[in-house]
Amino acid sequence: MRKEELNFTTVEQLEADTEKLRGMAAGAGAETWQERKEKQQPQCKFGEEGICCRICSMGPCRITPKADRGICGADAHTIAGRHYLRMAAAGSAAHSDHAREMAHALLKSSPDGQFRIRDEAKLMRIAAEWGIEAEGRDIYDVAHDVALHGLNEFGKPFGTLDYIRRATDERQELWDREEIAPRAIDREVSTSLHMTHMGNTADAPTLVRQSLRVGMADGWGGSMIGTDFSDILFGTPTARATEGNLGVLEQDMVNIVVHGHDPAFSEMMVLAAELPELQERAKSVGAKGINMTGLCCTANEVAMRHGVRMVGNFLQQENAVLTGAVEMMCVDIQCIFPALAPLTDCFHTLFVTSSPVARIPGSIYVKFETETAFEQAKKLVEEAVDNYKNRDPQKVFIPEHKEEAAVGYPCEQIISELDDVTSSHEVLTVNGGAQERGSYKPAIDAIRAGVLRGAVAMVGCNNPKVRPDYSHIDIMKTLMEHDILVVTTGCAAQAAAKSGLMSKEAKELCGDGLRRVCTLVGIPPILHMGACVDISRMMLLATGIAKDWGVGITKIPVVGCAPEWMSEKAVAIANYVVATGLDVYLGIKPQVHGSEQMVNLITEGTREISGAGYTISTDPDELVKAIIEGIEAKRKLLDI
Amino acid sequence: MKKLFDRVFDGADEMYALAEKSIAEAMDELGADAPLAMPNTAYYLANFLSYTKRQVTTVGGLAEAFEEAKAWNTREDNTSGVFKTGFGVFMAAEAIEACKYARGADPYEGNYHGHLSDAEVRELGVPLVTNDIPGFVVIYGRAPSDEEAVDIIKGYQTRGIFVFLLGEIIEQARRRELNMGFPVRVVAVGPDIWQVAHIISFVNRAAMIFGAVQPGDRWELDEYTFWRIHAFVNVYEPVSDLVVSCGAGAIAMGFPVITDDENDMWPVPKTLLIQKDTRRFIETSLEARDIKLKITNVDIPVAFASAFEGEIVRKPDTRVDYDGSRFDSFELVRTLEAHEIEDHRIEVFGPDIDETPEGEKLGIGFIAEVAGKNMQKDFEPVFERNFHYFVNCAEGVMHTGQRDIIRVRVSKAAFDAGFRLKHLGEILYAKIMSEYDTVVDKCQVKIYTKPDDLKRLRAEANEVYDTRDARLKTLTDESVEVFYNCILCQSFSPSHVCIVTPERLGLCGAVSWLDAKATNQLNPQGPCQVVTKERVIDPEIGIWEDVNENVVASSHGNLESVSLYSIMVDPMTSCGCFECICGIEPFSNGVVIVNREHVGITPLGMTFPEMASMTGGGVQTPGFMGHGKHFIASRKFMKAEGGSARIVWMPKALKDLVAGKLNATAKELYGIENFTDLIGDETIAEDPEKLMEFLAEKGHPALEMEPMF
Repeated sequence: MRKEELNFTTVEQLEADTEKLRGMAAGAGAETWQERKEKQQPQCKFGEEGICCRICSMGPCRITPKADRGICGADAHTIAGRHYLRMAAAGSAAHSDHAREMAHALLKSSPDGQFRIRDEAKLMRIAAEWGIEAEGRDIYDVAHDVALHGLNEFGKPFGTLDYIRRATDERQELWDREEIAPRAIDREVSTSLHMTHMGNTADAPTLVRQSLRVGMADGWGGSMIGTDFSDILFGTPTARATEGNLGVLEQDMVNIVVHGHDPAFSEMMVLAAELPELQERAKSVGAKGINMTGLCCTANEVAMRHGVRMVGNFLQQENAVLTGAVEMMCVDIQCIFPALAPLTDCFHTLFVTSSPVARIPGSIYVKFETETAFEQAKKLVEEAVDNYKNRDPQKVFIPEHKEEAAVGYPCEQIISELDDVTSSHEVLTVNGGAQERGSYKPAIDAIRAGVLRGAVAMVGCNNPKVRPDYSHIDIMKTLMEHDILVVTTGCAAQAAAKSGLMSKEAKELCGDGLRRVCTLVGIPPILHMGACVDISRMMLLATGIAKDWGVGITKIPVVGCAPEWMSEKAVAIANYVVATGLDVYLGIKPQVHGSEQMVNLITEGTREISGAGYTISTDPDELVKAIIEGIEAKRKLLDI
Repeated sequence: MKKLFDRVFDGADEMYALAEKSIAEAMDELGADAPLAMPNTAYYLANFLSYTKRQVTTVGGLAEAFEEAKAWNTREDNTSGVFKTGFGVFMAAEAIEACKYARGADPYEGNYHGHLSDAEVRELGVPLVTNDIPGFVVIYGRAPSDEEAVDIIKGYQTRGIFVFLLGEIIEQARRRELNMGFPVRVVAVGPDIWQVAHIISFVNRAAMIFGAVQPGDRWELDEYTFWRIHAFVNVYEPVSDLVVSCGAGAIAMGFPVITDDENDMWPVPKTLLIQKDTRRFIETSLEARDIKLKITNVDIPVAFASAFEGEIVRKPDTRVDYDGSRFDSFELVRTLEAHEIEDHRIEVFGPDIDETPEGEKLGIGFIAEVAGKNMQKDFEPVFERNFHYFVNCAEGVMHTGQRDIIRVRVSKAAFDAGFRLKHLGEILYAKIMSEYDTVVDKCQVKIYTKPDDLKRLRAEANEVYDTRDARLKTLTDESVEVFYNCILCQSFSPSHVCIVTPERLGLCGAVSWLDAKATNQLNPQGPCQVVTKERVIDPEIGIWEDVNENVVASSHGNLESVSLYSIMVDPMTSCGCFECICGIEPFSNGVVIVNREHVGITPLGMTFPEMASMTGGGVQTPGFMGHGKHFIASRKFMKAEGGSARIVWMPKALKDLVAGKLNATAKELYGIENFTDLIGDETIAEDPEKLMEFLAEKGHPALEMEPMF
């Protein structure tokens, strides 16, 4: 289809839909984040700049022109640095606790239980990697040993995390040398909290170094375990078609939205909703069937494993309820607005929380147990179906916009796509070697020749500080025009899906180089790699490229960008991405700007440690310009 | 290493400089107003037309167009810039070539093919859609040895790939006396890289002719060349920047380049491949372009490929000449019961080739006997008509004619390679069993060369032909239950659809109603689908509600309505590979028909290519219609406008071809004897005034008919 005929949903159309839904909210007497943001203005400048210290009860202490130190003597750099490290530690804790749940699920997996092994090959690979005997053993015995080994990574008393051996030799040496190789996951989180306790580390560079290390415990620890174990239990995702945006909610079906980050619960919900008896039950209440949909990163998880359609991202969670057409919203962990409870009270929507980690007043709490997960899910779907009759047609408005999206491109799928364009006739490739299957060399060749200029990992959340989704979409489009391949996860991925950019047709918006690559390989220009926990996949992708290329990871024209980030997880992620050697471009300022030293440390200082750092601009046009310049500068250094 | 994109830009600069020099010389020598055109094309300088919409007709016009083309030499360091530059290079190359043609229609004096005509483009329409030509290769440079040059050319040829040669490989092939030429699908285009312009012009015209791609529509052109033209390029080392710049254009069009040169070469998967082993160019290339070959294994000692279909075996090269015009000869397909056939039995009755003196002329007859649960008598002539193509595909074997007027020549080379009559049987057996495997379960072949047998069997065959003709006469549009559509060409002309009826065969001339029926039965999901004709709207003009519904669906909404018997009201569209085109001649109220082979001008002031360019690509153009030769004598030929009595002019060769049947139809419809005597041709008139004089003198019926518009 021609570019002019694409007619993808624009940010303006997304905003118009949001406005209409806010109208529905007003009618229902509900409040949304927009009003709450209004009421929060002006937001606390000290907090914003990271120079308000609440770590001990002598405080709070704030740094002002007349008070350049807190009561204990901590200056702006110490306060901002400690705060920054605490954010990273919290983020790392969040992803890693999620991973620990997956490890427990794996430990309880059994051939006739609720959780089974779906990707045996991956299990075997990891077993081999960890030196776990697999030959001649029952795969579940192997799985349990792998789970135990994974669990041990959280608290291992000695040494560093096993997964860092997946990195390039150069990185492993550097991490050791710089003392940022992560020890036990929990250890790094605890140490971070300890270091920032009243009366401990006051040295900003040390705080930043520990931020990298606790980030590493996430990216090369918790997140990587979370991703791998999810793949073992639910299958490594593969390319599939889905749709994104509020238009995936159906007028005449029972709509269930799963929201959060943990696939264990949502997987069960998806499987339950497919049961013929429940589909029949939906018909018996006058609906055409059950429409299972996802929101936030849970949507990413189930979309790439089942093609479940995606309602939207972080700042769309209230919009979903405001359609008045959602029978049940089931949440697990992370990024869930407590506001959903009062909001769902204004509609017939049942709001179900399922994790002891995310208890919310006003919700129906069903504690999710690995032993009874499927039965629980079935019961919830029944309740959702029975709730269909309570829908108030007066309150229903489903915006029509939705777009097609091609999702499910983890590293394994990317390699498989590249295999399809690999000649079977021993033609030459990068550095004169022969083309071979199972490598990133085809992509590297395209980058070296200049057909592709590089790749950007677009990640991160939505943040009301900027126009929701605008930065994501604007930056992605510009990158596509410049022949820069985008890989994406999390809420950035959802933004791409909503705006059609993740469809295969979106290649028409690209420069001729990326367009041709998409055509030949049969991929969309934006490759969906999963949820935010799957940014670990991106680290392995970049590592694989660097290894196959034979150059250091800091040299490859691959960078990360989080234009609308907001959560502490994002801080952890940004830290491990930088520690891995990839530059990170941020569209939201980290809350350290009250300290010039901290700003300098995170933008320049880390470059001396890991060879990468942040570039920060709240103007998306400036940011994308900087990304392109950064990529071209890396190309120049490679003489390509 | 010099960067790939820089090589493209430097090479483009070289080509532009050469073009600039050529144009300046032509301006000096010929002047700005001097006419400038490529021969036998309605598409001006097709590269300039395709990319810039400019219709260049003079040397000055070229100079002006070239100024515009300079903006295409971008030096913009990204793929879009490189692709655009590649197209610019093709314009510059075309400018160099056009300046040669401005000085005379054949600058290569027959030594090289140079420019390819529109008729040549159109001739390839059918073999392309049937996948008989699965792709095109452009080979440039000097192969490591003359022997290897011939091997790669023949390697492609035997796989059906159309071969364009540029540069030194042509001399290499000539030294080895390789038979080259358009009919054998090996074209020696020219000695220099800039003659690549002719190949690109060929492709660009295919896009305009078959794909209805509008000049200047880059997106559509890119889509067309990428998805529909399965071309690729082989270049031998050393590869200069100039050649790299042409490669950029080829790659922009979707044609991968395969080379053995690794100096400053940047491989890109499926796009620019370095294959050090030149002997493996073929497989590497076919895979890179995703070309799947239709392979029939025929157990014969000579090559077997569609590329040899057009090969002519000349008299001095002939070992044996089976001449149906002098000796009893025939070919026949017969349906038998399964138990009567021993599968794959091939019998030769009479002297074989080695038992025949060299250069001897005699008769031949071959009968293919088939059996199958789904076999129908109606399929016999369908198979039989294809004997011509089957036999011709053998290298060194030529077949012409049909039924009992066939001629088969076997060359000395084929004979020396071991070709004998049983191999003729092998060919028929293998092709029938592979092409018609859904209806034929068993097949045996009998070949006769003894005069007594031939006389007896020819008489038997004639009875069969008569029965078939009688059956064909009863096949009218009214007598059959259903029509068929044919969307074979949609792989090439995506919005065209033919409605095939007993009295209107497909416009390519290759698909009759019976063919369509057989195709449908052979492959129910295939290109020919049943079209019901139950809800008639107008039987005179030929409009049915259900036919229209089918047309809407099968043209993907491109067409709404088709009148089967009119050239004025919603005429049937064309893919571009029609045998003939018919257009209104306004002075006489009649129509002019011209066939693809005719190179001269018609009284419309237009040549075949020019008239043909008015339609094609699935577009309805009232007043112009593409059709098959045998439609001319049909009683349904523009029946809505009064029928064949409207025909006022045809090239003589065409007139002679259709005279018998057309005269019979005219007698039946209008009571006119020898109607073709009233029709003009190029020996009578090539302009409307002279034609009118002739028609008035003869009292041509069209002059008395209602005006058509």
